[in-house]
Amino acid sequence: MKNIIRIAWRNLLRYTRRTLLTSFLIAVGVALVIIFSGIGNSFKNEITGILTNSNLGDIQIHKKGYVGSIDNLPLDITIPEDGLKQIESLLDKNPEIRSYSERIRFGAMVSNFVQTTNMRLTAVYPEKESKTCPGLVKRIKEGDSNPNTFVKPGSIVIPLIVANGMNLKIGDDVVLVATNKEGSVNGMTFKITGISENIMGPQGKDGYIHINDAKSLLRIENGEITEIAVKLNNFNRLKKAYKGIKNELSLILREKTGKPVFEVHSWEELSPFSSIAQIVTLLIMVVRIVLISIVLISILNVMMMSVYERIGEIGTIASIGTLPSNILALFLSEGIILGFISAIIGNIVGIVILLIINAIKLRFTFGMMEVSLAPQIPIAEVVLTSIIVVSISALASLQPALKASRMEPVEALRHV
Amino acid sequence: MSLIVLENAGKDYISGEIKVPALKGINLSIDAGRFISFVGPSGSGKTTLLNLIGCLDKPSEGKVFVAGVETNRMDRKTSAKFRGANIGFIFQNFNLIPVLTVYENVEYPLIMVQNVPPEKRQQKILALLGKVGMTDQRNKYPAQLSGGQKQRVAVARALVTEPKLVLADEPTANLDHDTAYKVIGLMHDMKKEFNTTFIFATHDQKIVGEAEVIYTMEDGLITKTQENKIAREGN
Repeated sequence: MKNIIRIAWRNLLRYTRRTLLTSFLIAVGVALVIIFSGIGNSFKNEITGILTNSNLGDIQIHKKGYVGSIDNLPLDITIPEDGLKQIESLLDKNPEIRSYSERIRFGAMVSNFVQTTNMRLTAVYPEKESKTCPGLVKRIKEGDSNPNTFVKPGSIVIPLIVANGMNLKIGDDVVLVATNKEGSVNGMTFKITGISENIMGPQGKDGYIHINDAKSLLRIENGEITEIAVKLNNFNRLKKAYKGIKNELSLILREKTGKPVFEVHSWEELSPFSSIAQIVTLLIMVVRIVLISIVLISILNVMMMSVYERIGEIGTIASIGTLPSNILALFLSEGIILGFISAIIGNIVGIVILLIINAIKLRFTFGMMEVSLAPQIPIAEVVLTSIIVVSISALASLQPALKASRMEPVEALRHV
Repeated sequence: MSLIVLENAGKDYISGEIKVPALKGINLSIDAGRFISFVGPSGSGKTTLLNLIGCLDKPSEGKVFVAGVETNRMDRKTSAKFRGANIGFIFQNFNLIPVLTVYENVEYPLIMVQNVPPEKRQQKILALLGKVGMTDQRNKYPAQLSGGQKQRVAVARALVTEPKLVLADEPTANLDHDTAYKVIGLMHDMKKEFNTTFIFATHDQKIVGEAEVIYTMEDGLITKTQENKIAREGN
């Protein structure tokens, strides 16, 4: 085999310009896949990190039917106190879970005594929320951004869009007016202690208050809440953890109907960005398919030309006793070596470009989110791309190699 | 026992719907260690006959035996193995592999066909290159050699596997007279040393005189067989 590879390598060098051109084409394709994959995955991870770390958590638990009505932030589809205790005991035992945060989410009117607008409020225990969504306090641009105290009883964090629209600043008082699940309307005064980025996108008017204030405002006397956000120890084990929690909670059934009381959703099911992430993944696939086409056409073309140009030589080596299998191996080796070398060059170029991008740190705004691209070297993509290129090279060389190995020596010698 | 036996061997080529007979019922027997020449004009069937003897082609009718083996029954793989073990080829256009050096061209059949271990290989190749006078040129590529030098390398390549039979189709056609004589002389010397049977097809009447037996061919038939008494010393 060593000798076949040596001869194959020499044959590739025989047509230097053609080999270089083909290799360049494939290498460019490979480099594009590596760069696109690196940037695409970096973008996905960055946005996913922002979303899960600042608002969604990795997984959320609600009472069954809540997510279906989530636009209305219903207060009548809540996790009751005894249900909460059941869930907490399960979550406390689960080794996959780093932390969780109980929340009450509701809609309210906010007034500065002159103007009024609507807002979505998330009522939290600040320490628990900061552990579950550690990126949240980083998005508080003015005021108290201490993870343990960013909302205290009587204080409110309002989004930038509301602060700008109503000309509010830190220390100002606002009144929140909300309707509870019985239909009663109540109001409370809050002091603004923080102004945050628009956490859920450009139209998101999301504010934060302490959960005890929400209970007072909404006159919730027992310990019911609307959702639990969960943070995992390892985000890469999301699917497994999600499945585990779902299975455990599915055992808690309603007495009357025998159906599960709670529902579990991963961040992907709660955020429209998961569709964008899927599109990015799809685009990477498309680039891979383009690469496959480039490799297939280039190698097939080069190998076909090579076989037609060397018919006489094939006749010579066949006549002196080279087995058809060795002739097949020779031409296959040429295609595979060409693909392999091109893949290595393309990978090196792609990695170098990614390292440059990483050093520069591309920054841009996505929605209202400041995104900084620092693409990592996609090791899996490098390996996968190399395997694809070599496999497709072998596949593309197969037909010309078979043709060469099946040539009758006496016919081939006539071409000399 | 004869090395080569042809029994009523014929070969037809099909051109469109027309059957063109290239060889017509050849009966022939050649003993081992002979120096044989087939002469005749183009289209007389010399190359076709060499192809049948060299197991590169199969007869349309009759039988061909080489070293006691009936070649008609061989499949492609068996045929390749048989050629690699028993037959050497010398071509009109030398047919050296352009990407390999002189040394590597001679080495090729030993590694790709006979799988000879490296130490034994080197010994054989250097000895043979010495005999054909190409030791100094061993690291050159075919493109750097003259026609005569290329044919010397081709002779070494044909003999390196120690075949029973060497077939040469117009081996001197692309060489000047002096070089042609030298190459034929080299083949003679090799024949003497290794007791290899040499069969060559040629147009060249001057070269023909070097053969022990001359078969004249016309229209696919052997029309004349001539023992050459004044062939080189030792024949």
